[in-house]
Formats: sequence, structure tokens, C-alpha cells
Amino acid sequence: MNLKLLFFANLREQFGFSQKEFTLSKEVRTPEEFLLIMSKQIGGEWIKLFEDKILYKVAINQDLSSWKDPIFEGDELAIFPPITGG
Amino acid sequence: MTIIIQEDSFSISKLILELSEKDNVGAVVSFSGYVREFSKEKQLKYMELEHYPGMTEKALESIVQKAKSHWDIEQTTIIHRVGKLLPKDIIVGVIVSSRHRSNAFKACEFIIDFLKTDAPFWKKEISDKGEVWVSERQEDIIKKANWNKLD
Repeated sequence: MNLKLLFFANLREQFGFSQKEFTLSKEVRTPEEFLLIMSKQIGGEWIKLFEDKILYKVAINQDLSSWKDPIFEGDELAIFPPITGG
Repeated sequence: MTIIIQEDSFSISKLILELSEKDNVGAVVSFSGYVREFSKEKQLKYMELEHYPGMTEKALESIVQKAKSHWDIEQTTIIHRVGKLLPKDIIVGVIVSSRHRSNAFKACEFIIDFLKTDAPFWKKEISDKGEVWVSERQEDIIKKANWNKLD
């Protein structure tokens, strides 16, 4: 399963990238599950992000979504802190 | 509907004038937001503004559509700066025209309230105390929630 992941603000700085393509060996159904898999496979900062996910927002294909919303092959997933524009 | 995201500064009065010259305009209401230089704890040097290209435009279009579903408005211009901003710099402008003033007043406030919580922009403050990503303000969340009474 292929997913495009985007990080913004403090997450972009912590992880050291703004966007990356991921090819996962098995299907993930939700953004929450994606983080769980990454925290198990890679660990490190992904574990902290999984644990702290309530502090962050997620967008699927550029729409604000929830951690339990469905994701599909080729989706664009973005994770970021609460919005502070204006 | 005009949505502009840019690094350069802009003239809010020029944008107001442009909107006022279009058809069916009886009222134009505008909001402009600036970088606050005042704080008890720290001296702001500058601010870095980041956004999510694509989603930003999509979110702002959706906010304007919501405003249009509540009030009879004519034209809307939203302009937001990104990149490096200095104290007192203009950050954001929201301009709404309508045939009668009440609709433009309400829609303008609605749009800026939703922009604050739904349009993906992030501010980082660089001050004499170091760098910090700005936290969301409870007041902004409450202001947006108050509009739910409309539905």
C-alpha cells in the first residue's frame, strides 16, 4: 500500500522532512493504524507521535479528518499541530 | 471569490477599492490582521509563517461557501501572507462586499473566525527568548464554536 505523508511545523522539524512516500507491506485502514505500524517498525519519534496523536490534527487528501477515518491506496495524509494562522 | 497566498506585503486599501468597483456593492467590510510586537514576556524579532499549499485554498473556499450559505454576500477576497514577517507587518486580509451592510459585517467576522481554526497556517515566533511554534488560542476555538448556533 502506498501513502504520501506530509508533516508541517514542529513535526516537519522533528522528523526532518516535509513529505515522503511510504510503501507499506500490509494494508492500513486509518491514520491511527498507520502511526501504530510506523511506531512498531521504526520506533523512535514515531512512538511519541503515536502516543501524542491527540495533540495533532490529521488531513486526508487535504480535508480535515479524524484519526479513525478510512484511508486508501495512494492517499495523501498530512499530520500537523493545531492551526495558528490569521 | 479571490484567494491569494503570498510572501509579499499587500495594500488592503487597494484590495478594498478593487472590490468596491464591482457590481452590486452597497457595502464593503474588511478585516486586516497584523503581527503583534507587544508581549510582557518577550521581544519578538520576527515570525515565520508556514502553510499547506492546496489544502489552504481548499479550506478557504469551503469557509467562503459556508458564509455564502448564511448571508447574501457578493464578492470575497482573502489574502494571507507566508514566510518571514516582522512586527507590525500585515498578515491577513478578509474583504467582503454585499448589497446591505449587515451581511458583509457578519460574513467577514465568520470568515476570519473559521480561517483561524480551519485554514492550515502555522506561526513560529522568533524572539529574544528563542524559537517557539505558536499554540492555538482557546478564544479562537470558542469564537468558532459560537457560530454553530447558526446551523
